[in-house]
Amino acid sequence: MFKYIKKPIEKIDGLALVTGNEKYTDDFSFDNMLHVSVLHSGFAYAKIENIDESAALKMPGVVEVLSYKNIKQILYTTAGQGYPEPSPYDTVLFGNVMRFVGDNVCAVAAETKEIADAALKKIKVSYKRLKPLLDFEKSENSKILVHKDDGAFPKIPVYYDASQNLAAKVEANVGNFEEAFLSSENKIEHTFFTQYASHCAIEPHAAVSYIDTRGRLVIISTTQVPFHVRRIVSHIAEIPISKIRVIKPRIGGGFGGKQEVLLEPIVALITWKTKRPAKLVYSRKEVFKSSRTRHGYRTIFKVGFQKDGKINAIHLDALENSGAYGSHALTVLSNAGSKTLPLLNKIENLKFTGKGVYTNLPCGGAYRGYGATEAYFGYGQIVDMVCEATNNDIIEYYKKWSIKSGETSPIFKALGEGKEGVAMTVTSTSLNECLEVGAKESGWYEKEKLYGANSTFNKGKRFKRGIGMAALMQGSAIPEIDMASAYIKMNDDGSFNLNIGATDLGTGSDTILAQIASEVLDTPVENFIVTSSDTDFTPFDTGAYASSTTYLSGQAVLKCATKIKEQILQVGAEILGVNIDEVEIYDSNVVIKSSNENQNKGEVSYEDICRYSFYQNNQFQIQAGVSHVSPKSPPPFAAHFVEIEVDTFTGIIKVLKYVATVDCGTPINTTLAEGQAEGAIVNGISYALFENYYFSQHGKLLNDTFGKYGMYTAADIPPIKIFLIDSYEETGPFGAKSISEININGALPAIANAFFNATGKRLFKAPFSPEYVLKILAG
Amino acid sequence: MLSENLKWYFPSSVSQAVELIQKPGVILHAGGTRILKTQSKNIVGLVDVGNLKLNYIKFKNNSFHIGSATTFNDVIKFSKENNCLKMLGAALSQAASTPLRNRITVGGSLKDFPLWSNLYAPLITIDAKIEIRGDKSGIYSVEEYVSDGIIKSKHIIKEIIVPENENIIWKVKRFALLKFEYPLFNIAIAFKMNGKIIEDAKLVITGVKNRFKRFKKAEKFLTGQKLSNNLSDEIEKFIEPKFVSDYKYSASYKETVAKVYFNELLSEIIRENL
Amino acid sequence: MKASFNINNSVSELELNPNETLLNALRNNGFTEVKCGCNEGECGACLVLLKDKPVNSCQVLAMSVQNKKIKTVKGIGTLHNPNLIQKIFASTGADQCGFCSPGMVVAAYSLLKENSSPSNEEIVEALDGNLCRCTGYVKIIEAVKRSAIILQENKVEAE
Ligand SMILES: Cc1cc2nc3c(=O)[nH]c(=O)nc-3n(C[C@H](O)[C@H](O)[C@H](O)COP(=O)(O)OP(=O)(O)OC[C@H]3O[C@@H](n4cnc5c(N)ncnc54)[C@H](O)[C@@H]3O)c2cc1C
Ligand code: FES
Ligand code: FES
Repeated sequence: MFKYIKKPIEKIDGLALVTGNEKYTDDFSFDNMLHVSVLHSGFAYAKIENIDESAALKMPGVVEVLSYKNIKQILYTTAGQGYPEPSPYDTVLFGNVMRFVGDNVCAVAAETKEIADAALKKIKVSYKRLKPLLDFEKSENSKILVHKDDGAFPKIPVYYDASQNLAAKVEANVGNFEEAFLSSENKIEHTFFTQYASHCAIEPHAAVSYIDTRGRLVIISTTQVPFHVRRIVSHIAEIPISKIRVIKPRIGGGFGGKQEVLLEPIVALITWKTKRPAKLVYSRKEVFKSSRTRHGYRTIFKVGFQKDGKINAIHLDALENSGAYGSHALTVLSNAGSKTLPLLNKIENLKFTGKGVYTNLPCGGAYRGYGATEAYFGYGQIVDMVCEATNNDIIEYYKKWSIKSGETSPIFKALGEGKEGVAMTVTSTSLNECLEVGAKESGWYEKEKLYGANSTFNKGKRFKRGIGMAALMQGSAIPEIDMASAYIKMNDDGSFNLNIGATDLGTGSDTILAQIASEVLDTPVENFIVTSSDTDFTPFDTGAYASSTTYLSGQAVLKCATKIKEQILQVGAEILGVNIDEVEIYDSNVVIKSSNENQNKGEVSYEDICRYSFYQNNQFQIQAGVSHVSPKSPPPFAAHFVEIEVDTFTGIIKVLKYVATVDCGTPINTTLAEGQAEGAIVNGISYALFENYYFSQHGKLLNDTFGKYGMYTAADIPPIKIFLIDSYEETGPFGAKSISEININGALPAIANAFFNATGKRLFKAPFSPEYVLKILAG
Repeated sequence: MLSENLKWYFPSSVSQAVELIQKPGVILHAGGTRILKTQSKNIVGLVDVGNLKLNYIKFKNNSFHIGSATTFNDVIKFSKENNCLKMLGAALSQAASTPLRNRITVGGSLKDFPLWSNLYAPLITIDAKIEIRGDKSGIYSVEEYVSDGIIKSKHIIKEIIVPENENIIWKVKRFALLKFEYPLFNIAIAFKMNGKIIEDAKLVITGVKNRFKRFKKAEKFLTGQKLSNNLSDEIEKFIEPKFVSDYKYSASYKETVAKVYFNELLSEIIRENL
Repeated sequence: MKASFNINNSVSELELNPNETLLNALRNNGFTEVKCGCNEGECGACLVLLKDKPVNSCQVLAMSVQNKKIKTVKGIGTLHNPNLIQKIFASTGADQCGFCSPGMVVAAYSLLKENSSPSNEEIVEALDGNLCRCTGYVKIIEAVKRSAIILQENKVEAE
């Protein structure tokens, strides 16, 4: 039984957030601060022949202009990943080639934002326009090269070929796909498309910098990866790491969009040059066009299977539209295979081929789901098609063929992140229970037949109903790459400082990590003073991505708290005059174990223990710092069920009900775990139904506001029910795995399957816009 | 960007306001939502309508008089108690969002006439009149008002006049996938009834090629008819809205859906009142 | 220039430009609890009460509401003296990143002040101008429902 784990504990910053007391990046301002605005390219592909900034510089209040003319052309990747990054070094902060509408031309720093904006209009840029490459399916053989002779190179030894517009290429083979496919009784092949999308964190990207009293550079930023920011800024601005401090205050959502180093180098350079504070906040339009997006994807599935439904061979070929730069191109691509193909692990012949190609469109990046979302769209439908063709019940099918505890998939080893993957055995799963509970709660068995193919329910009706489902997996952290660390020290009232590099984006990880320490030390969450994400004061953590924080940083905290516990027991035993193995902790005290008769006398409080250790005998600070690297990435699992209604006259799909059953191991905080699932599901549904980037024929983004892009409000969401179905993951803190990403993957395949249930037709292209749906219904 | 030297005026009478807007670059400010969107540098002065006492809804001479500074939410609130204004309330409650409807005024919306206006279609169908002051002072029908000569003249809208009519049956609908979304088009249908006979019919759509369209042939056909189930199919051929394609939807898709909606609304209105 | 406003029950002189929005005027004068997510009236992070009604402060020109009564989320309750709705938002998990919360709380507060037993429809309608990307709205709606129930049980107003 847990005391502080698996509880709906209120976020430690909750009240401060809802009273408006917390501070976000843009809430920090400093005396004498400069305001920065960035000029973005209006052309999808152009070479800058000259920038004339003289008129801007003459304006009163304009202090600095940064452009390729006065910035060293240092190649880097904006992807905030571990070093050396698996993304190619193909970007310069301000270069002279513009590769998409929204690329950085130059930046102006001025006394006010208004002056900076006005100055942008005074800058004369002479462009030589080049023909842009806008169709990613034609990128590979195109004569137009997005990165031509610019020195772009891969930082790690992976395939990279700018002369073919290839930002990334991945291949993995298990068994012999070709042979097995050819000899299969049944074969299907289908092509699916998923689209660009914006993360739409409600807080836009922002960064503020200043020089501290000793001449060091301090950056406050909306980042998911403060330590990567420090390293990358150091690289671009050529400032030693020792002179940079990065602070992440509260941040207003990330979803991967803030795992990217975009604004920090700009303010850093301005501040370093002028020695004045500088602030840059992106407008919503800038976030849409100039920050990062979800990559566009084409996936082709080839599947050979037997009459009984057994799949002999599967080939997933993924083509990724990486946009103008290769940020996360390789790793998102690998994840498209590595997070889907192991699910039905009994398939013996697997093939994954993937290419990430450059185009002159906005740049892809990390986005919740990270390749898995894109691939599950096809994968989830393919499984449905196989079941349909072979008269298998899909629930039973997944139960039979999906990966179980004690089993492995060769894909884990075959597909890593820029290098070979890590072989692992799954040691926790409750997927079968998820499937059963989900089927029951969604009314699957009754409804699937009621609405399905030969039923009369939908016959002749304008509004047709359908139900569909999909099973999913993801990962928890990047094995043998991601590292997290924690530091705890004890204070003389029995409270503790918990310092972690981990980054709370609003996910509640500060609270979750405190809960883990609470459980180990048997003391309430309020007794932890949590400091996170400050490169000066917290130990290293790779950051908030890859669904890693609870699983990875949580384990670091668990290990660290365990060390503290040993020290507390040692001091407690010393005070009580007994052996260490005669004591245990209980409710913020060290007590003599209950088997001992002197039970009542034998206890000493944490407060007394710390005071003793500070001021009396054998003095020392009770403290510990611990690091953790995971040997594996245990997958969370989920089963999603959705019921929809299709208006066959207008093509509008309405979601009636969504049921998700999720195995995240032990949910450390039940409220926060549900919240992660709910948020991801709503984002998944809107991605499936309407979120998209629409471009002009010149590659300009047309729907660059929330209003034009389309966003759900509370008034639009269907009833959503989440069931957390525990398993226990031995390698995670108190059995925890991850939950943050997996639930964004279900809506695409589940809704598409429900559409088939309702209409007998398949959707191959997301989003399922009403016009596309009508076309499918007609065709 | 609006000019940093923007001048503000707070007149307390309509005539003062009319005088002020004669100067070039000086325009009225009501909710300000459109002014903020356009951010026009050419605006040198804003004349706030806040002190003009134009925020009212009154019943006088068999008509409702809605002051031009009345916000959408105030219209909605008032409309709940008055059968005749219910249609307007129903249409406006689909506009923008709750907090925006606390700012958006009927006057600003009439003058602005955005493609996504939820106001125009119902106003036309219920024979609303618009009273303006300025170069072209007078009371106009909505269709007269939007003709270039008047909407572009320097004027202030004083009020909207909606004739009371208990015998109106109506429907409104917009095309949007989301609650808070700029609608693609708005449809309003109203029949003035005499028992089961349609005495007068209005069918209007906004968001189309020339901003709005009244289906006069359909109206003519319906006038004098007795309510019956087959009417909606019979007038289908008269409903031919023309749209412009945009990045999300093709013109032909919009046409298809607009027709479906008309048919649906007509069937409903007939079914409910047979 | 300076203009006077009644903010959170006290008179404040704000330094502002005549072309400035209420949102900018507030944030530039220290009321940073009012957030900016879009500046276009499309997200609701900037909601404040103007004469007791929620408005998008980014869609209001400050000069047009001089001397008017304005309430920000801090006028509804503070960290040390939170309003019941704020307490319930926090305990229900209606806040993840919290960036939408100041606006959400303003919208919820205004609803419950007018209508202490709102239906589900009335709740979501009142929140229709507030975007949240984190929560999926489930717990936000739940928090408003819970607040209404407790307000009714205690027969208190959302003061
Ligand atoms: C995000 C957003 C979403 C929206 N969605 C919708 C929607 O779905 N449906 C909808 O119908 N509307 C919608 N609107 C509102 C619409 O786009 C306009 O902004 C609004 O109608 C303008 O009204 P206002 O009172 O704010 O006018 P203002 O901005 O104050 O003025 C607009 C124009 O009218 C003039 N004007 C103002 N008052 C008068 C008067 N009394 N007489 C003559 N001229 C006057 C002004 O000089 C100006 O030229 C939306 C607005 C926003 C910001
Ligand atoms: S900032 Fe005002 S609505 Fe988004
Ligand atoms: S909690 Fe993050 S936007 Fe609502």
